[in-house]
Amino acid sequence: MAIQMQVSDLVPGQHFKVLRMSLSKEVGKRLVDMGFTEGRRGVVIRRGLIGGPMHVRILGYDLLIRRSEAAGIEVEPLAEGDA
Amino acid sequence: MPKVGLDGMAAVDGRGAPGGSPGPVAPALKIALAGNPNAGKTTLFNALTGSHHKVGNYPGVTVEKREGRCSSGGVDFQVFDLPGIYSLTAYSMDEVVARDFILDEGPDLVVDVMDSTNLERHLYLCMQFQELGIPVVAALNMMDEAAAVGISIDSLSLGRLLGIPFVKTVGTKGLGTDELLAVVASQARGECGGTGRQVDYGAELEAWLGRVEALIALDPGFGARYPTRWLAVKLLEKDANAALRLGGHSRRPEILDLVAQAIAWIEKHFGRDAEVVVSEQRYAYIHGAVAETVRISAARGRPVTEAVDRILMDRFLGLPLFLAILWAVFQATFTIGGIPQAWLEGLFQALAALAARVIPEGLFRLLVVNGIIGGVGAVFSFVPLVVILFLCLAVLEDLGYMSRAAFLTDRFLHAFGLHGQSFLPMMLGFGCSVPAIMGARTLKSRRDRIATIVAIPFMSCGAKLPVYVLMAGAFFPRRPGNAVMLVYLVGIALALLTALLFKRTVLRGDPTPFVMELPPYRVPTLRGLMWHVWEKTSQYMRKMGTIILAMATLVWAMTTFPLLPGDASGRAPSPEKALANSAAGRIGIFLEPALRPMGMNWKLAVATITGFAAKEVVVSTLGILYHGAPDAATGPAGRGSLRSALAASPEFSPFLAFVLMLATLVFPPCVAALATIKAEIGWRWLGFVILYQLALGWLICTGIYQFAGAHGPAILGGGQ
Repeated sequence: MAIQMQVSDLVPGQHFKVLRMSLSKEVGKRLVDMGFTEGRRGVVIRRGLIGGPMHVRILGYDLLIRRSEAAGIEVEPLAEGDA
Repeated sequence: MPKVGLDGMAAVDGRGAPGGSPGPVAPALKIALAGNPNAGKTTLFNALTGSHHKVGNYPGVTVEKREGRCSSGGVDFQVFDLPGIYSLTAYSMDEVVARDFILDEGPDLVVDVMDSTNLERHLYLCMQFQELGIPVVAALNMMDEAAAVGISIDSLSLGRLLGIPFVKTVGTKGLGTDELLAVVASQARGECGGTGRQVDYGAELEAWLGRVEALIALDPGFGARYPTRWLAVKLLEKDANAALRLGGHSRRPEILDLVAQAIAWIEKHFGRDAEVVVSEQRYAYIHGAVAETVRISAARGRPVTEAVDRILMDRFLGLPLFLAILWAVFQATFTIGGIPQAWLEGLFQALAALAARVIPEGLFRLLVVNGIIGGVGAVFSFVPLVVILFLCLAVLEDLGYMSRAAFLTDRFLHAFGLHGQSFLPMMLGFGCSVPAIMGARTLKSRRDRIATIVAIPFMSCGAKLPVYVLMAGAFFPRRPGNAVMLVYLVGIALALLTALLFKRTVLRGDPTPFVMELPPYRVPTLRGLMWHVWEKTSQYMRKMGTIILAMATLVWAMTTFPLLPGDASGRAPSPEKALANSAAGRIGIFLEPALRPMGMNWKLAVATITGFAAKEVVVSTLGILYHGAPDAATGPAGRGSLRSALAASPEFSPFLAFVLMLATLVFPPCVAALATIKAEIGWRWLGFVILYQLALGWLICTGIYQFAGAHGPAILGGGQ
């Protein structure tokens, strides 16, 4: 059984695979529209200072999301790379 | 338009570039440029139509549709540049503008402008356009960048797979525009033919979609207005707007019933929300096509952007560097801009002297020398400062730094109830409140938009700068830059506190999400920068020739008439008395009791009031009031600058100068900004904003002046 985490728990450089959204329908749908579909791989680039937004790369582009949204993205941490 | 081609420029459904001449006289083709934010729609629009709209390397620069015209190969095109959208299920207000245009204005064709470096996400929207049943042409924009990061696209095969013609373009260089228009013309004429291809949502979803479509098609009048396939998909996606558009359908309850059944089944079967399933299937379909046609070489990535971001977005370095950059912008504005400013001041003094010599004595000479040259000249000398400020902001925006700044400031802005996305509109406020207030449309929630809009007038605009610089130069000669910086900082603090106050009271609610794309750094094009600056500067100059000239003349007239007759001995009345007797003087004297507590005499009352026409007018009014009075001893030619006239005036003190700067900052903005606030959020909010700023301005200015009075000359003294 894979470990389940939220994007907000991940450290910079951590790769992940999207499992599901646990966000309000509106925000969840927006993130899905922007590429957070099940099984999609991404990586956390950096975290803002003292609870600032997170910088995430998914689908080949970079995105900024607040911690509160990142906390609603359930992911499976991946050991290495977009293998 | 340049006729430079790229490889495989046109890929029309496998049939190659279309040729042939257009039919007889046809009305202009109405084409909509749509696509994800920051895909280069406006750049391509400018390249197509030859117009010069503001573009920036920031998602959401275009917040309202724009129209232009062009023609190619004998066909006329009416081109609409729409705000960027991620999906046809609209989320923020600028997205609503774009979606409603496509659905309700019925363009002949949609050109989906795509960032070729980010194809999968851009195709996601493209597939929704295709579902709409409107002819679609895809512009693979930024092909140069895609090549640089090692992406190669077989646009011919991709076009064949998806049933959409793809044209490679580079908007910044105007490449591919002719080919694009040729494909657009033939596609709109139906020459390419519909392939009937569309997204395959998989067997389960397709079965449900088929049943919903069949039911929608039962109302024959309805299918003509909205494509049934699109409506069926959107209903499964729980799009509230689609359900609304179903309003006139004769079988509406039945359809909604079936949709509810479908959604329930899908959610049970897939274990996820139906709208998520629809998105995932759409992405899966796209991924299949992209996997076959797009090659990414191993050297993927943007080493320069990543290296720069490691420094500029660093957890600890990022914020200090951000502040250092802002500081550098202000220093550049004042130190570099001060040099040509001094030349212009000299020029206008020489001009005034010349006019005084050639125009015979009388009212006309007074009008020209004191009214027009004094009024307009006082403002004109600030053009270099404004140009440099705009140039710096344009460079930061085109580079892509503004989204980094949003990242760095979101945590901080969030504490004040604002949003990282409030950042760009607020920065634009340093230029001019009007585009800044409109720029707030990228904010999703109305509460956030209103909070941002009420905060923007406190961001010192370019028109307030001349007032600050004049006052600081006269009364804080040793460190004028610091004094101006202080007023800017006070403004920022007031903007934040105002937003916080509003969000804690009338705009209370849950925080809204912050989801923002981070574009790579891009080298600003010289042409782009020139246009940014030219647009702003010409706007400023036009203001000079119109409202400021008119106001300067009006203020001059109001400070001159009615004329006071000479006394019995025939000597002219003292300038002071003549002014007090004038119309402006009477108004000022009438209002003086209200402004007295903040230390303002009636002259400053007049100056502050005229600022509502345009803030620069405060400077020209001061010029007329304090500088225009003819000096018998030296004559107009012998006078020094307005700055020295003010510094020498016994009516002023450094503290009063500071109060005047704050009054310019805090009192309600100019009529243009007020009209924009009204247009964006309505009369009620406008009234609220005016009352709030009047009250706040009065309280702050009075508080400071009274504090200064109570604490005596200890803090009043010195030209620090």
